[in-house]
Amino acid sequence: LLQDVQKHSVHTLVFRSLKRTHDMFVSDHAKSVSMNCIGIILVFYKSIFHSIGVALTADTTMHRNPSEGGIHSMALALPPSQSLLEGGGTRNSTLARKAPTMPKPQWHPPWKLFRVISGHLGWVRSIAVEPGNQWFVTGSADRTIKIWDLASGKLKLSLTGHISTVRGVAVSNRSPYLFSCGEDKQVKCWDLEYNKVIRHYHGHLSAVYDIDLHPTIDVLVTCSRDATARVWDIRTKANVHTLTGHTNTVATVRCQAAEPQVITGSHDSTIRLWDLIAGKTRATLTNHKKSVRTLALHPRQYTFASGSADNIKQWMFPDGNFIQNLSGHNAIINTLAVNSDGVLVSGADNGTIHLWDWRTGYNFQRIHAAVQPGSLDSESGIFACMFDNSESRLITAEADKTIKVYKEDDTATEETHPVNWKPEILKRKRF
Amino acid sequence: IFLPAPTQLSQDQLESEERLRAQTSYSTALVSSRREPPPYGHRKAWVPRSLEDFGDGGAFPEIHVAQFPLEMGRKKKTSNALAVQVDAEGKIKYDAIARQGQGKDKVIFSKYTDLLPKEVLNEDTPELQKPDEEAVKEVITRRVYTPSQQGVAFNSGAKQRVIRMVEMQKDPMEPPRFKINKKIPRGPPSPPAPVMHSPSRKMTVKEQQEWKIPPCISNWKNAKGYTIPLDKRLAADGRGLQTVHINENFAKLAEALYIADRKAREAVEMRAQVEKKMAQKEKEKKEEKLRELAQMARDRRAGIKSHGDKGGEDTEVRERDEIRHDRRKERQHDRNISRAAPDKRSKLQRDQDRDISELIALGVPNPRSASEAQYDQRLFNQSKGMDSGFAGGEDETYNVYDQPFRGSRDMASNIYRPSKNIEKDTYTDDFDTLMQNNRFVPDKEFSGADHGQRREGPVQFEEDPFGLDKFLEEAKQHGGSKRPSTSSRSKDDYHDKKRRKE
Repeated sequence: LLQDVQKHSVHTLVFRSLKRTHDMFVSDHAKSVSMNCIGIILVFYKSIFHSIGVALTADTTMHRNPSEGGIHSMALALPPSQSLLEGGGTRNSTLARKAPTMPKPQWHPPWKLFRVISGHLGWVRSIAVEPGNQWFVTGSADRTIKIWDLASGKLKLSLTGHISTVRGVAVSNRSPYLFSCGEDKQVKCWDLEYNKVIRHYHGHLSAVYDIDLHPTIDVLVTCSRDATARVWDIRTKANVHTLTGHTNTVATVRCQAAEPQVITGSHDSTIRLWDLIAGKTRATLTNHKKSVRTLALHPRQYTFASGSADNIKQWMFPDGNFIQNLSGHNAIINTLAVNSDGVLVSGADNGTIHLWDWRTGYNFQRIHAAVQPGSLDSESGIFACMFDNSESRLITAEADKTIKVYKEDDTATEETHPVNWKPEILKRKRF
Repeated sequence: IFLPAPTQLSQDQLESEERLRAQTSYSTALVSSRREPPPYGHRKAWVPRSLEDFGDGGAFPEIHVAQFPLEMGRKKKTSNALAVQVDAEGKIKYDAIARQGQGKDKVIFSKYTDLLPKEVLNEDTPELQKPDEEAVKEVITRRVYTPSQQGVAFNSGAKQRVIRMVEMQKDPMEPPRFKINKKIPRGPPSPPAPVMHSPSRKMTVKEQQEWKIPPCISNWKNAKGYTIPLDKRLAADGRGLQTVHINENFAKLAEALYIADRKAREAVEMRAQVEKKMAQKEKEKKEEKLRELAQMARDRRAGIKSHGDKGGEDTEVRERDEIRHDRRKERQHDRNISRAAPDKRSKLQRDQDRDISELIALGVPNPRSASEAQYDQRLFNQSKGMDSGFAGGEDETYNVYDQPFRGSRDMASNIYRPSKNIEKDTYTDDFDTLMQNNRFVPDKEFSGADHGQRREGPVQFEEDPFGLDKFLEEAKQHGGSKRPSTSSRSKDDYHDKKRRKE
């Protein structure tokens, strides 16, 4: 990934490269990297500094001294790890004190567009994939719900019934039901054997923005513009819990089997983790500065990510401990999706997609797909994205009324698309 | 030494003076400035009353009086100050404020370290692993409960209890238990969580300008009736954004049509010309034939005549004879034509006998008096303003026409009357035909029309059926004296009229 060359002073550049080298090699306990090599490198750089120092004019003598001081501090920092290395040869590396690692991001093949499906007459707002991976459903601003064949992209069925934009769809994997929610305050349960609505869940006071099903309990959770999330019993249509606490529209809700079972993100820039049994907030995460429009739960790890206009943050369960920021996508992020391989996709309101390595937060690809011919360029925006159940296809719902399907580029290799990882080096103070 | 002593002392000098004074007072003072409580043992009749009496110590337990050193211990009225708490390690719990309303186990992030990104962990660390499905299921379906308070007395010695979920029986005939029609205000929300981000950056003017949304100018609705300039009305139309691409096949089609049209016209023209030529040839042939026939006929006729004729005439006489012959022939020709097709009258002749209503029905145009440019009189003297008169009753005024049809010209002037002038050139040749022609008698009559006799004037008077003329004459003669005769007369007339009618 090409990035602009940042202008730094020679001192900063050398220091940073030095630090990176040190960080990269210091943890390689298995390899017998002798301190002599690093010492040689240090001496080398020191000599460079001296030569630069000589060349500098009298004005910059002040700058010279701190650089030397820097080198000295580096040298001081090295001996502790040096001692570690010497001792580490005998002991098991895992028992050694954990040295700060600078991990290399895992290489992922880049994704490319491979199909564009048009057919909707309005913005495509939501996507859900069937558990058997045969078809997927999309809900749109033209008030219809369309079912498409995943393999061919052909339209299979069109369902009408909503009065306003369909904002969320979800397919149940325990029963042949499809759930949809819309801006007309309706939450509908469609029986897919008859293709008809069989249940309505009445209770929301305003537009319902998102819907999610609990994986183990027969319970449905919806969130709405009336600042509440509601938990419904699927069979009896009863409103089991009303999760209040947010002060603005609740934009996204996710359910999982482990605690906390319900997570919501809202336009008041907070994320709340709920205790489903009690119907109370377990923790409130206030780290975001702008509205949280999307959440994504990692399928394997016990972590999740939240996306907002300022940045994407990763958190740990069950308490919501902050892990890291994924910054770089400077746009209003409408959707997030995570892969088992550790690929995080963020789709934004301006039509750009950024692909990240989950573990390190490295942005390895940026895509901005062209709009459908006939649409204006300003009509590019991504409202929803989802991986299919095989995690090999990424389906996005867009504002130019199309559905775009992406797949990994098989021809790319590590050489053709190298990892260009330049992490920001934090000056970590001791707390 | 030269300058007088300063009136205001500097800080250093003040301090030195203080020190001096302290030193001197230290040696001479009897009572120290700071009041110390009397030492232990000498406090029998002493009661601390003010804050200074305590010195830097605390309360005196042997003096049985309520004491509040440093104002500690007094019942404060209302203070929301939290007592400083210390956790197990001895560190002050600074997040006690943030945890005020919650239980001690609630997860609340308030430290700066909660905000910092953690190190990137390896994937296999146990913290990141999801709890097993069995663990999850177990949480949901737990049947066994281990109470925290255990002992022989509780639960009759058993350590655990088994729980069974049973549906509570609902009486089907029971009416609703609670009134839900009352509206009560919402309770207070839970205490707000500490905000874990730096305050939002200030908005620069440039960024604020970026988010400005122009007001919507609808092409359909204008609720407040604003008058909006035209350039603003079209501004959001998006016309300039899309270039209209016209397929070039349209141009090709137009070209092809044009060419086809031209070719067709040419073909038609050529065909017409060819046909004309053919027709002409045919006509000529026919004429030739007729001429031949006529010639033959003439020859036959002339042949009979020519025997006793023309032997040695002059060329001039012959020419004049020829001219006369030609002219006679022509006149005969014309008379033959008119005789042969008497219906082919000129339009003018036909229209002259028609009634006025028929002329209007046919739409015969008004006979134009002059050929110069004529202007509609309604264009002139159109005055706007007060002079134009009362136009309020526009609906009622009948101003479609300003002149009567055919004007106030005399009908008499429209009717043609041939004058005795024969000098007019127009009638030279046809004069005799015109004279003989019965102009005022239509060639073909209308079925129900009157058999009109020759008109002598614009209005043809009938015979006086009611004898009014006679009546008027008699009235003039008698001078209006003979009344009864007039009345009888009128009666007679009336009867006559009646009879006539019947």
